This record gives sequence, C-alpha cells and structure tokens, in this order.
Amino acid sequence: MRAPESPASAPRPDRPTGPSGPERRRATGVLTWVMVRVTGLVLAVLVLGHFAVTHIVTDVADTDSAFVAERWRSAIVLGWDWLMLAAAVLHGAAGLRGIVVEYAGPRLARFLIAGLVVLAAAMLVLGTATIVAVILA
Amino acid sequence: MTPLQIAFLIALVAILVAIVAFAGVVLAAAARNVGDPTGPTALVRRLSRAPRDRLELGRWGFWAHRVSGVAIFAFLILHLFDVGLYGLSRDLYDEVHALYGTAALRVFESGLLVAILFHALNGLRLLAIDLVDVGPRTAGRLLVLAAVVTLVLGAAGSAIILGPAVGWTP
Repeated sequence: MRAPESPASAPRPDRPTGPSGPERRRATGVLTWVMVRVTGLVLAVLVLGHFAVTHIVTDVADTDSAFVAERWRSAIVLGWDWLMLAAAVLHGAAGLRGIVVEYAGPRLARFLIAGLVVLAAAMLVLGTATIVAVILA
Repeated sequence: MTPLQIAFLIALVAILVAIVAFAGVVLAAAARNVGDPTGPTALVRRLSRAPRDRLELGRWGFWAHRVSGVAIFAFLILHLFDVGLYGLSRDLYDEVHALYGTAALRVFESGLLVAILFHALNGLRLLAIDLVDVGPRTAGRLLVLAAVVTLVLGAAGSAIILGPAVGWTP
C-alpha cells in the first residue's frame, strides 16, 4: 500500500537541513491533511449538487448557453462555482502530489510537482477568468 | 462535425486513455509493492485467513479512490476549457456543448457520476475513520456501504442520464 520510502522525507543535499527542516515539513503535512479533508467535505456537497443540477434535475442536452446565462445571473451560483473550482484544484493538486511522490523517483517527482503547480495555477486562472468575464459582461 | 468539436473529442479520448494508463500504473505498482506469493505455503497462509480479510476490500477501495480521483481531475481540466468557451462566445460554448447530449457522452457522464459518487462517499468514510476510531471491522463495513450506495445511486442516475439517448424520459 505505501511506498517503502518517501522521497519527501529523504535528505536533500541542496537544502539547508537545520532542526527547523523536519518540523516545518511536519507542520506543512498537517496543514495539507486538514486542507484535503476540508476541501473534500466542501466538494462532496458542491460537486454532487452541481452534477445533480446539470445532469439529473435538468437533462444535459438542455444545459446550453441560455441555461448557463440564467444560472450565472445569480451571485450564489457564481460563488458556488468559484468555490468549487478553488476547492477542486487545491484538493486535486494535493492528491496528485501524493501520487507523484509515491510512484515517481525523487528527480522525476520534483519535475512533475513543478508541472503540477503550473497546471493548478493555470486551471485557477482559466476558471476565474471565465467567471470574471461573466461578471463584467 | 466542426473542428472545435473534433478537438474536444480528441481531448476527451486522450483523457480516457490517460485514466486507463494511470489505472495500469496503480495496479502495477500495487502488484510490485504487495507481491502475490504463490506456492503451497502461501496458499495455506492465505486460506487460513477469514474470507472477509482475503477479499482485501481495503486495498481495492484505496486503488478505486486513487483512480477515480485522477479521472475526475482529468475531466475537470477539459471541463474548464469547454466552460471557458462561454467567456469567449456563447456560440462556441453551444457548439461544444451539443456533444454532451450525444449517446457516447452520456455513457461517459454516467461513468463520471459513478466516479464522483464513489470518491465522495469513500472520502467521507476516510474523514470519518480519521476523526473517530471505529475499528477495522466497522471501517470495512462502511466501505461496503459506500460501494453499495455508489452502485444504487449510480444506476439510478445513469438511467436518468442515458434515458433520453434511447427515447425514454423519467
């Protein structure tokens, strides 16, 4: 189930290893643990609600631009969608980081995590830009 | 079919291929880490365990959680693009959105529903067993419960999603 050794806890010669190193990592680990669970709880409500509205209550063929325009006149829906985006990107990025650390070697993992940060930032920018464009239109 | 629709479908197929490939990575790594010893001694040891433990449901739950999470995230990337088209032009959004009502996409959406349901319900289980020490037996039962609710709600939701493709509306 678990990787025999975690590259995240391996000594890093390129970084100063003072007594603050492991403690800081532990604090980050706790913060990530809390973040993944809080966003997960939020997403369980927001995503299932979003899917129910766009596929169950309304047939997906009817969720055209007129449907979107009507829904996005509501500030609550805009807030719902942005919160869902932010929570999903944070939650997904943290999950993928764990997967990368487990499956990839330390060198590849560092490269992939950098790519993951860029991807997450791009997703946040794209989604936020869409919502801002709707608000300004 | 317009070029934009073809681009969307190519991206969707790429995502599906990536999901299947990732599931392969997960299972290959699992086989490597866990190992599957064969031979009479290993068999006797295996059969001496309770049937419930032999099922290794926790492991399957762990892998399913991983693969469903990656699948949902992969779709989210594509989904941000097709909804992003709305910000550019409502016509472009409608052009791609027309695909969502096709039979093939409805099958995909049903699979997405199952992935979301399992990931959400199993995620709530993981949160619960982190916060409350329920013990391994109850944790196992909660996993079965999450799987059963996923199948029931997934089947009901899929019927509603797939219905219009076969001329049936609830």
